[in-house]
Amino acid sequence: MKTSHDDAIAGFLGLVVGSCGGFLLWRLGLASSLAGPLFGGLFGMLFGLLLRHRASGPGTGLTWGVGLSFLFWLALPAGIVPVLTGSMPSMGMLDAARSHFPQLIGCVLCFGVPLGLSLGLWNTVRLEPNMSSMYLGRRIFGGGLAGIWAGWILEKWMGQVGFLPQVSQMVEVRANLVGWLLYIAFASVIGAIFGLLFQKEVRSYGSGLGWGAGYGILWWFLGPLTLLRWRSGQPLDWSAAYATSQFGLLVGHVLFGALLGLLYAVINRICVWFLTQTDPIRREPEGLGANTLRALGRGAVASLAGGLVFSVVMVEVGFLPTVANLVGGTSPWLGFAVHVAISTLIGMTYGILFRNEAPNFGSGIAWGLVYGLVWWFLGPLTLLPALLGGPVTWTTKAAHLFLPSLVGHLLYGAVTAVVFLLLERYHGRWLRMDPRLLARELSRRRPFGTAAPALWLFVLGVGVLLPIMLG
Amino acid sequence: MHGLSRNLKLRACIGSTAGLIGSVLLVSTFRNLPLALALAVAVGTFYGLVYRPAPRAYLESLMTGATLGVPLWTCLSVVALPVIAGSGPQWTADAMRILFPQLVGWVLFGSALGLLAQSGNDAALRWMEPLPVTEDVLQKNPHKILIVGGGFAGMTAAENLEQVFGPDPTVSFTLVSEGNAMLFTPMLAEVAGGSLEPSHISAPLRTSLRRTAVVRGRVVKLDLERRCVLLEADHLESDSPTHARDEIFYDELVLALGAVSNYLGLEGVRTTAFDFKTLLDAIRIRNHVIDLFERAEREADPVRRRQMLTFVIAGGGFAGVEIAGALNDFARGILVDYPRIELDDLQIVLVHSRNRILPELSETLGRYALDQLRDRGVTFELEARVVDAQPGKVMLTSKEIATETLIWTAGTAPHPLLKELPFRLERKGAVLVDATLQVKGQSDIWALGDCASVINAETGQTCPPTAQFALREARTLARNLHAKQKGRSLTAFHFNSLGALCVLGHQTACAEIVVPYANRVLRFSGPFAWMLWRGIYLSKLPGLERKVRVLVDWSVELFFPRDIVQTIDLK
Repeated sequence: MKTSHDDAIAGFLGLVVGSCGGFLLWRLGLASSLAGPLFGGLFGMLFGLLLRHRASGPGTGLTWGVGLSFLFWLALPAGIVPVLTGSMPSMGMLDAARSHFPQLIGCVLCFGVPLGLSLGLWNTVRLEPNMSSMYLGRRIFGGGLAGIWAGWILEKWMGQVGFLPQVSQMVEVRANLVGWLLYIAFASVIGAIFGLLFQKEVRSYGSGLGWGAGYGILWWFLGPLTLLRWRSGQPLDWSAAYATSQFGLLVGHVLFGALLGLLYAVINRICVWFLTQTDPIRREPEGLGANTLRALGRGAVASLAGGLVFSVVMVEVGFLPTVANLVGGTSPWLGFAVHVAISTLIGMTYGILFRNEAPNFGSGIAWGLVYGLVWWFLGPLTLLPALLGGPVTWTTKAAHLFLPSLVGHLLYGAVTAVVFLLLERYHGRWLRMDPRLLARELSRRRPFGTAAPALWLFVLGVGVLLPIMLG
Repeated sequence: MHGLSRNLKLRACIGSTAGLIGSVLLVSTFRNLPLALALAVAVGTFYGLVYRPAPRAYLESLMTGATLGVPLWTCLSVVALPVIAGSGPQWTADAMRILFPQLVGWVLFGSALGLLAQSGNDAALRWMEPLPVTEDVLQKNPHKILIVGGGFAGMTAAENLEQVFGPDPTVSFTLVSEGNAMLFTPMLAEVAGGSLEPSHISAPLRTSLRRTAVVRGRVVKLDLERRCVLLEADHLESDSPTHARDEIFYDELVLALGAVSNYLGLEGVRTTAFDFKTLLDAIRIRNHVIDLFERAEREADPVRRRQMLTFVIAGGGFAGVEIAGALNDFARGILVDYPRIELDDLQIVLVHSRNRILPELSETLGRYALDQLRDRGVTFELEARVVDAQPGKVMLTSKEIATETLIWTAGTAPHPLLKELPFRLERKGAVLVDATLQVKGQSDIWALGDCASVINAETGQTCPPTAQFALREARTLARNLHAKQKGRSLTAFHFNSLGALCVLGHQTACAEIVVPYANRVLRFSGPFAWMLWRGIYLSKLPGLERKVRVLVDWSVELFFPRDIVQTIDLK
């Protein structure tokens, strides 16, 4: 009885929030007065019923919301609807996607975000009414600190793409200092919100990085494309053309988010070490150092495989001499050596960041792809020009130039993840001989039923789609 | 196997069907309809085989499938298909824009594939028999391999068996040992000399072995008829319900019993001398020396004091020379803390039956060792034997020495348990094994290490009872056990010694290193040999943690004096 009562509430909540979202879309001119609220309400009701058990918190709900809304947009406005209305000859045409770009932002901000947050909040109030203030305080403090830190690290590059003046325009003051202060303030607030929302999702450094990247993309939709324009008195413009002009900030937001997530995971772990009493009974049987060394070793071995696959792409596009420039040379062989060294280091970090994140190969590949995508934003678009002495190239032109590298990074991530998982699984066969160790391993590994699949789709889908679509 | 193949066929069927149905979303974005259909079915089949979703995880499968659409588009539409068609990868911006519809198609196909495959799996779970899942958990009646003896040979045999068999659930390993740790004997003298902490040179068997069951106990009988070993009861009550634990059954038995001290029939020596084989022996020696120094500090009678501070070591082989050097350094090093004791009161005496020490090394190095130790104050009684020992004195062939300390390193013998077994033994009591390390006349019993007489297949000579031979014997034995299990032919044991190292005390040692394939022997002495000794044995010490601890101990020793804390009272 209680279950059907909760189902009804969830469905009703989704119906109301979805209808409101659809109404907002109509007001923004992105849907008709009937279709907007109607489809919004239907989508919301379905959302509420399907995710009643899964949206266990606002962060989880938000992740499912943005993932499902992206899939909804891909399936309908960008996919099937243009074919049905006869405006496009087949599904998935680029022009249809571009012309419906505003609907992408609309779906995410008007459906995905409010539905996910509201359902998640409702579940939190229902299931965890007495969350301790210290626990909340740790989230806010950790997130705020991580936000400030990430903002400070990226400040120079964000300044290069003109973000600080845009921020200072929000208070109608054109002073650099004001812009900087506001930027840091926003970074800390955004960070604190991250901590509040995603504490449960961030099981390790890798998932922190992944969730951060998705969070960064969301804030690009919300910030530069929406709030900044609205606050500076300009009409909302969610068109593909305007999004193209803000592409640099997309890169900045992805990197900010990834860094924020990673730093938050680190700060959170430090807080746990210092503030939580460790139980000696749960001491690692193999030693903390042994596990870390093993992860580094597996990551290095796995990255050799990924790096070799990536090097085929680099040879094909003739990129190795550019890589050799990093150490002052021009020879392709030197470039290959540098590339292998870099990929080994990145692979080692993959081992540390993503161990125990993948319960199966599909999950492993997905995490590897997310990692590869983040490195595409960080590597060719950011670090490579910076290390060669120039400004960062956060432009659609640079993104188009480095699209082959995007393919390479995705392949690198997937292959590294698969090989890493194979090595992890092989060691795991030893552990399965002892049920106690098996139980411990299973408790550490990310379980099924988290919002990770929604995150993967949102980050990969938007992260791969936008560089192709925009410009 | 039958269940497993049915499982795979069913999953492939579910995947291919899901792919076929989902292909509706893909074909509209491909110009080539048959290609799109084929790809959809192939991807669906692969997905079904590789990806096993949890029950009723529809949303997760929907999203995971959609996510996998991105790499599918990247790998197939952008790279593989154009390369096969001869036009090269389509990864420029313009080419990717042209392929954009296929990106949408693959993502939507992936989501449909995930959803449909999930439905198919759930339907199969509901309406058919549960699909068998392979288990790596140890099977109920595995092939039991039992190793008796937790020393170098036994533990290395267990490690190598774990390596060659891997996590094979059809075989189980059990190691029976009197102690719960493997002692790294080359560093034992350093424990007696106070340079190293006792536990740092022992590797706990339970944490060193991954899947070998460790049983601490003393073997009292081997019952070859019933194929079991009997352990000494570890409980006081005779009718204890744990009686079953005192018998351990085996399918293959590995004897690594090691050697015990051989007192050559001298009862007085057996009751008064200190052994130098175990960690407890080294701890007792160190504490006994400290105890004597404490008593000597209060002793007014110089004769009595000299008796207390005279230490006799019987045996001029590796063990005897190393303990003599370590003891000499320790005793002379702590003199400064005992102001009433004179240097002349202290005497370290090494008794050896031949005219030179270290017969295992060359004459040059043996003489070097003798000269070095003599220069450092060690006294030698060469061509002399201990004929008896009583509390307060040791009788040699030619003289008597007043002493309260006799350390016996003059002889070893194989474990006495072997005498009770119907095996052929060689002259000194070691069990005879064939070239593959199987006990002669027994197909399921193996032996290695100090308790076995192992013939080097290449040279035809008996292998010396040293650690380096024990390690290689263990490796060959493990491979042979694995080969026997798999029905392959066994390998004969052969190994050429890599050399020998002997530490003489503070920053000096002797070393003989054999250069492989060059038939040359390099000899070193002095500080370089000492660094070689430390480096090689540090690398051989089992476990990274133990290496770090020993390294820290050696580093602390550089800056601080020897520890003279008496940790046990021997009264």
